[in-house]
Amino acid sequence: MSVISELIARHRERLSGFPAPLEQHFEAALRALAPRLSPSQLQQWTETGVELTGLSLRSWEAALEYFRASAAFPENTTWDAIEHLGREAVSMATESAPLAVSFLRSTPGVIETIGPNHLRQWADLGRRLYKGNWKSSSLAAQFYDLGPGVFKVLRPSQAARLVLFIDELSRHSYELASACLSSSPTVLERLDEDDRLPYLAFAVELAQSSWADSRLYFERGVPLIHKVHGPVRERYLLLSAQVARGHNRSAFQYFEEAALALGELEPDDHQQVVELAEQLAPYSPYAAMDFVTSVPRVLERIRVDELEPWHAAGLKILQASHDGGEAYFRLQSTRGEDILDTLSARVELNRVGEILRLYCKALTARNVTVQTTAALAEKGIGWVDEHRASTEGSAIYLPEVMERYHDKADNFAAFKVFATHQAGHLEFGSFEFDFDRPGNIFETSRVAIAEEMGESKAFTEIEHFFDLFPDRDMASDLYTIAEDSRVDGAIRREYGGIRRPLRSMQREELTKRPDVTRLPLRNAFVENLVRSSLDGIDAVLWPRSRAEVMSQALGVLQALANEGALVEDAAEATLRLYKLAASIPNIYEDVPDWESVEPIEGAEGMSMEAGEMGGEGGSAKMGDVGEGEQDYESPQDVDFRGDFKPELVELLMKLRKDAQGGDAGEMSPQQLTPEQLQELLEKSADIDLDALMEGDLDATTGMFMSNLMKEAGTPQTDDGPQKGDKTGDDSTGQGEGDEALIPIVTVYYYDEWDFRAQDYKPRWCAVKESKLEQGEEDFYENALREHAGLVAQTRKQFELMKPELFRKIKRLPDGEDFDLDAAIEWMTERRAGASPSDKIYWRRNKIERDVAVAFLIDMSASTDEEINKREKKYDDDDYDDDPRKYLSWWVSKRRQELSSPPKRIIDLEKESTVLLMTALETIGDQYGIYGFSGYGRDNVEFFVIKDFDEGLDQPIKRRLDKITPIRSTRMGPAIRHATHKLNLTDAKVKILFLLSDGRPQDHGYGRDRTEKEYAIHDTKQALNEAKREGITPFALTVDRAGHDYLKTMCEDMGYEVVADIESLPSRLPALYRRLTE
Amino acid sequence: MSDTAHPAATIHAVEEYTVQDEPYYLPIGDEVALFEMAYEQRIPVLLKGPTGAGKTRFVEYMAYRLARPVTRVSTATGKTAEHRMPLITVACHEDLTASDLVGRYLLDTDGTHWVDGPLTRAVKVGAICYLDEVVEARKDTTVLIHPLTDYRRLLPIEKLGQVVEAADGFLLVISYNPGYQSALKDLKHSTRQRFIAIEFGYPPREQEAEIISHESGCDRAQALDLAKLGEKVRNLREHGLGEGVSTRLLIYAGRLMKKGIPARRACQVAITWALTDDAEIQRSIEEVATSIFE
Repeated sequence: MSVISELIARHRERLSGFPAPLEQHFEAALRALAPRLSPSQLQQWTETGVELTGLSLRSWEAALEYFRASAAFPENTTWDAIEHLGREAVSMATESAPLAVSFLRSTPGVIETIGPNHLRQWADLGRRLYKGNWKSSSLAAQFYDLGPGVFKVLRPSQAARLVLFIDELSRHSYELASACLSSSPTVLERLDEDDRLPYLAFAVELAQSSWADSRLYFERGVPLIHKVHGPVRERYLLLSAQVARGHNRSAFQYFEEAALALGELEPDDHQQVVELAEQLAPYSPYAAMDFVTSVPRVLERIRVDELEPWHAAGLKILQASHDGGEAYFRLQSTRGEDILDTLSARVELNRVGEILRLYCKALTARNVTVQTTAALAEKGIGWVDEHRASTEGSAIYLPEVMERYHDKADNFAAFKVFATHQAGHLEFGSFEFDFDRPGNIFETSRVAIAEEMGESKAFTEIEHFFDLFPDRDMASDLYTIAEDSRVDGAIRREYGGIRRPLRSMQREELTKRPDVTRLPLRNAFVENLVRSSLDGIDAVLWPRSRAEVMSQALGVLQALANEGALVEDAAEATLRLYKLAASIPNIYEDVPDWESVEPIEGAEGMSMEAGEMGGEGGSAKMGDVGEGEQDYESPQDVDFRGDFKPELVELLMKLRKDAQGGDAGEMSPQQLTPEQLQELLEKSADIDLDALMEGDLDATTGMFMSNLMKEAGTPQTDDGPQKGDKTGDDSTGQGEGDEALIPIVTVYYYDEWDFRAQDYKPRWCAVKESKLEQGEEDFYENALREHAGLVAQTRKQFELMKPELFRKIKRLPDGEDFDLDAAIEWMTERRAGASPSDKIYWRRNKIERDVAVAFLIDMSASTDEEINKREKKYDDDDYDDDPRKYLSWWVSKRRQELSSPPKRIIDLEKESTVLLMTALETIGDQYGIYGFSGYGRDNVEFFVIKDFDEGLDQPIKRRLDKITPIRSTRMGPAIRHATHKLNLTDAKVKILFLLSDGRPQDHGYGRDRTEKEYAIHDTKQALNEAKREGITPFALTVDRAGHDYLKTMCEDMGYEVVADIESLPSRLPALYRRLTE
Repeated sequence: MSDTAHPAATIHAVEEYTVQDEPYYLPIGDEVALFEMAYEQRIPVLLKGPTGAGKTRFVEYMAYRLARPVTRVSTATGKTAEHRMPLITVACHEDLTASDLVGRYLLDTDGTHWVDGPLTRAVKVGAICYLDEVVEARKDTTVLIHPLTDYRRLLPIEKLGQVVEAADGFLLVISYNPGYQSALKDLKHSTRQRFIAIEFGYPPREQEAEIISHESGCDRAQALDLAKLGEKVRNLREHGLGEGVSTRLLIYAGRLMKKGIPARRACQVAITWALTDDAEIQRSIEEVATSIFE
């Protein structure tokens, strides 16, 4: 005790100069330490504390914390540690008292976590953040304050990484560094222990390359990294770090996108994906990350095990060219598309749709279109299943993709089988049922049955037929089986080549059928018919005791496959099958002797008596469920046969026919009433009311009816997607006519050339074509008036060009007649003994001028520039710095401007166009005039001012007026579209005339805003493509600086820079003349 | 055109080609009777129809039927030794001029001498003159056709200052393919109204199969399948295929098949690739072919 009191006494005087708590804490600490330390150690400790108080004005606070910390030391703290702390405290407080305060305050907590041995390391870490200024001091202090929290989640060695990160950040922004630091314990806590260090490693790289993203990384990084499968997180983070190491500013974006992409995959696949990515990283870390990002999209098209070949192909490209490889893995390369396509076994309808359409057209001799099944379901006309192939008479609907097999050819063959079956319905007349026409195989009995039932109110023939049956559902199922097997039979007979895939598909279907022995008898009967129709007579199983009825039914069904069977035969067969089915009770037959049944021969002779159907009165016999009987259920669908809805199709076909004016003569178009339709809706087995209904029946009927009418009123035409362009055709408007309020926009997609990757970016640009709106008519006339002299002159020049139909060519070896001069020469030379030339004939050669020219006018914003601007400078000199003169100059200038607004580049472009148009009209060349502008690759606007097939009429003259500066200049896609337009003409000489005022530029038309090469190369490529198509491109620019880029752009093509823009109106026709002469 | 360029080859062909045997022709309708009546009345005949439908074969067959051995002379040929030259076929092309038909002066060792053109020969000997694809020829040829096809039956030879009255057996037959030529090359009304027109379509499947099997020697089933394929492909007529596959091409395919080329391959080379260069349409046709042939 004496030591304590002595020490207290010794320093009381000194400490009493500071606020009271200091002394209290000193005493408390002294008492706590006394039992553990020797007197000399205690003394040394006390001296350290006292020394602290005297270092600076506020260093007493450090001393206070020093005392407080000492008191809180755990029991086992060694003197060395305490001594060390003291030294650290003194040295720290010498530099910054608050720093020492923070340090000391956290010490007890930290020591508790990491032990006293790491104290020094910890102190050093904080010190690294301290740069001598107050901001850094507060950052370091913050670090010390957070100490206990940090060490809960990091080991001391790992904490160094955190400090490195914070230190790096603090160079850019102390605020950001502080924010990240303060959130780090909570952020890191949420990570698995093993992930923390790699997480920080990436953070460090990120701080070096794009420090601003660090906040995002700390905010969003954890959930993102959790998307990655645990075992590969570290590798993933290291991969991301490699991207950042390349000083790439979008490293975080790469990290985020790829992590999200991985999140879409099965965790088990992450390992493989990251491994593959790691192989790419040495060549380009970006490609590696892009690869990861693209995997989910790629896997939509190929299987996981095909990923490796896809990767390998890309790696090869990457090794040859980084840009090429990166584009490949970004899925922005045509080569990549092609490889994907080759690898992928699945077949997409939009890739083979045109082939299948022509195929079906060839088979059916009708202008059918091929569409997706989803499109049919969307129409709301009774088809509800979005996946099953079908037809509604004018189009064949197929699934969007086919991926049943692991082989492309098999998948295509499957498509073909689907399509052939639907086409078969059309070709073999499934929808041309005529109630009164006799079949070729069965004797007609339906007419007699119908007579018994009395007058029919049916709207279509097939409806009339189904009206004969009490149980319409079963009748419809039987009819479907009968008709499908008739059609399949005809296909097998007519199309030998399709037999094999059809057979294998039937086999496959057979394996999917339900167990027939577990079905109630009548259902089993129908099921057996389905099996037999799939050419699976050996799969038919039936109780032996009842063999006869089955055998008869099979015979009836097989008779339909014979040559000559008509849809009416299928109907007759249905009657017979129905009768047989109705005779079977729908009960479970628990007998062991289910065995195969042979069809009987000559079943077509089976007769039907009128009255056997039971008619109205007898319906109870067959329609109702008898004692112990099960409800009848439709058999499971046969996939490749799709949805067969004869009643609906015939209804539609009839409505269509009526809409087109109907047959002249006997059948006056009968109106379908809502009542009739409603009745049909209720009774027809084609229509699944439950699936269709979205409200009460009346509303449904109404909607259904209007859908049907719409469908019938607008018969499908033969267009489908336009051929020749690389597009689907997305018309957003319907109905033709120039006066449409909303312009009709058609979208075309074109590739874009990436000269770095030396590859096309597939379907990169969307060109939106629309007609330009109409302006004032005056413009055209005014332009003509203004340039009246020039017009007359141009016209005259062009008239001279008018094609002479025949031109006499002399001195030919063969021709119509002798060229007299040549003949005389020949004769004299011969007489003179020389060997004369035998070119002594002349003939007239037909010269046909057959030119089509597309003018492409740049409508970019830059054409807004006034032409006189340059001259204004000269004018400026007039007023000689005299304000009065300036004023009068300005007034006169203003007046002048008001009376005639200054001309802009676009105005001259327009006027020149008018002049040229009159010239072209004179000479009779086909021409189209188009403007283009737009912003970004998704929005290249292509305005039709005059299409090739339009004549120069009023609306077109009015459209000319509306040529105005709009936005950017993405030339490539505009040129490609104009090329497409030119290709549709059949002229011998095709010219593409590009009129612009500057270099091509657009948002995203190049790596960044300032890059010019990309745009120029794409434009050049587009011009080259045009050339390859046999088109002569010519570029005319009014940009005086045009030479430098036009030289590259139009390497071996014609171009001209019109330096004096005012001469454009006279120059343009002259150029055109020269070009086509 | 040039009689000096390939003289040997042309003259050789003339000597060789005299059809002694009856050409195979399967009448589809009443065209044989019609033609016989027309010939009897000396009414000029216009044969309309797509390429390879059998127009030329029909004329040869008729010439044979009208008891005349047939000789084919190609355009603007020089001499021919035959006196009796009842059928002269001229394939018209866009550079065919009136003097190619009528005749011209040719150079000789000491000056020039006149050589009759094929039309003049036909008029003089009283042959059937068959101008194939007549719309292709230059417009000045109509000047010759008109006086020959009405009651006058005269051929003016401007350069000689002569007018030749047609011999009794002379008949002008022209053919014309309405689907093929562009609108520019339509036959003028003043010309077409001088002929009776017999229309040739592709024969129905059964008959076409018979023709294919006769001409190619392939078996009946193959011929039927080929005819079926022809029918299907013709459904694609407006897709850049001109007029669909001709019977002639189907026969070629049949011949290849007869010689053991697999059916699908035979169709590919004889039909698909022959018809179009458009990859998509090729593929579609091929799909039809693979559906029909195993």
